[in-house]
Amino acid sequence: MPDTASPDPTRRSAPPSGGAILAVEDLTVAFGGLKALDGVSLSIAAGEITGLIGPNGSGKSTLVNTVSGQLPVRGGRIRLHGGDVTGRRPDRIVRAGMARTYQIPRVPPTLTVEEVLSVPLLYAGRDRHRLPGLGDAASIAAFCGLGPLFRRFCGDLSVTDLRRLEIARALACAPDLLLLDEAMAGLSHEDSVEVMGLIRNVHGQGISIVIIEHLMRVITTLCHRVVVLNNGRLLAEGAPATVLADQAVREAYLGKGFAS
Amino acid sequence: MKTGLTRLLPYALILLVTLALVWIDKPFWIQLAIGVAITAITALAWDILSRTGQVSLGSAAFFGIGSYTLAIFEPLIGLTLAWIAVVVVCALAATLLGLLTLRLRRMYFAIATLGFALSMQVLVVVFPDLTGGSGGIAPPVLADGDPRWQLGLIGLLLLAAVALSDALLGLRFRPAFFMIRTKPELAAASGVPVVRMKIFAFIVSGVLIGLAGACYGGLYGYVVPTDVFTTNWSVLPLAIATLGGMDTTIGPLLGAIALKALEEVARSVIGGTGYQVVYGAVIILFVIAMPQGIVGLLRKAGTLAGRRTAAGEKKKERERHA
Ligand SMILES: Nc1ncnc2c1ncn2[C@@H]1O[C@H](COP(=O)(O)OP(=O)(O)OP(=O)(O)O)[C@@H](O)[C@H]1O
Ligand SMILES: [Mg+2]
Repeated sequence: MPDTASPDPTRRSAPPSGGAILAVEDLTVAFGGLKALDGVSLSIAAGEITGLIGPNGSGKSTLVNTVSGQLPVRGGRIRLHGGDVTGRRPDRIVRAGMARTYQIPRVPPTLTVEEVLSVPLLYAGRDRHRLPGLGDAASIAAFCGLGPLFRRFCGDLSVTDLRRLEIARALACAPDLLLLDEAMAGLSHEDSVEVMGLIRNVHGQGISIVIIEHLMRVITTLCHRVVVLNNGRLLAEGAPATVLADQAVREAYLGKGFAS
Repeated sequence: MKTGLTRLLPYALILLVTLALVWIDKPFWIQLAIGVAITAITALAWDILSRTGQVSLGSAAFFGIGSYTLAIFEPLIGLTLAWIAVVVVCALAATLLGLLTLRLRRMYFAIATLGFALSMQVLVVVFPDLTGGSGGIAPPVLADGDPRWQLGLIGLLLLAAVALSDALLGLRFRPAFFMIRTKPELAAASGVPVVRMKIFAFIVSGVLIGLAGACYGGLYGYVVPTDVFTTNWSVLPLAIATLGGMDTTIGPLLGAIALKALEEVARSVIGGTGYQVVYGAVIILFVIAMPQGIVGLLRKAGTLAGRRTAAGEKKKERERHA
């Protein structure tokens, strides 16, 4: 076990917050004895789509849950827009400009699409003028391809539409930064292509995006930059092509024997 | 979705029945209506809390705290301030209990609230100087003991409970409450201050039940702990809301009427104490047969009738969407 107190030369120092919309410094999160995140430092550039990848259990969801305020931090700092948001309540973080989606969308089945979207519109308390044309539930639903389902109950929606609704709900928070946790898992090829288009459109609204994704096709087409986690540590970061060609990354994904 | 007319139905029902009974002035029916109204208030209050996922078995605590607070404070600070004290004490108790049970999941929450109600009863007996112990206490008599005025006042409280329930079923609260119930993390991730909302629902619910309890204590001006701090007052609101239809305003009202009617019929047909067994069994059967309650049954009947008449229109609409 490496000594966590000594500075790790491979670990990036905290970047200047000018270009970074989100920066975590030496972040450690543990479940009992298990360190799901172990001294992770990374930054997310404003205006970009960043891919967050890594094998199962590498800590991707934990990272999203932590920066969005849902998990307690054992050590380290989280900065949003340069301001410290470590330990802040999730609803406050939403108000500060960071929204996230859930891997498994679970919305009340007796609410309509309209009613679900009304919640962030009423409570996230964000300036609506930032996203022109996305100021009300109907236009957000239409933007996400949910127009015809606006008054439908969530209990009647398909998995794809629930995914769309989850993105729409996060979008209704009018975020500056959107964290998407496996927005395409379990979708057909066609549907995932459509959701990719939606993510591009969201980015086109000037929203920075982080996507967690297992499909490399998605990462290479959408992302400007990729961050790789392995065993709760930062393994690599950089341009998609470079990172995916990296020997250590290939080993982490495929196991030592197959990588070469 | 809901037309203005069905929204006004509960208000019209309460106003008409109350005024009619006050006019007719038949003691049996007035007592019956008072019983229905008090249980309906507790059921509405229970339902309001349950919309945030907090399934309480502690209603009796607030029912008792309400009647005891009025009785204890009235000699000290006068009637008006004593009623205000009922609101304040119940709000404080709700905040405290809400914060203590905040992280508890369903079953554990229910058990903890039940424990709170049971311990309240013990507390009353432990401090007899303040509470009169098991011998009971004398709250001020409501409306000088005139049953018609009593019904009028309790009817007003019921109207207030209905209005609160409706307001909390509006766009501002219903979606947020249901989201808190289904997945609190999702609500928080949508900007909802979950803790504040849950405590808020707890306070509204606790104060309503407390006021109902204070009215109950004032009916005869005398209560003993087992009148109000009994598990009956914890289970009844839940049973009524479930029977009538949860997440609605009209549901707890219909449930309270149905339950009281059932109780009276069972009492007159079977009599003795055996009627309670039959009455309990019938409630269980109803809940099993109609999981959505009376409201669900009516809705189903409504959509069946609607389908027959509007089948053509719906088909057209579906084609338009496709
Ligand atoms: N609530 C929890 N309690 C205990 N351990 C947890 C909890 N959540 C995650 N873990 C553990 O933390 C580690 C990181 O999990 P995490 O869900 O962040 O991985 P992930 O990268 O999102 O994986 P996946 O690709 O499967 O979604 C895993 O070892 C996991 O078992
Ligand atoms: Mg995950």
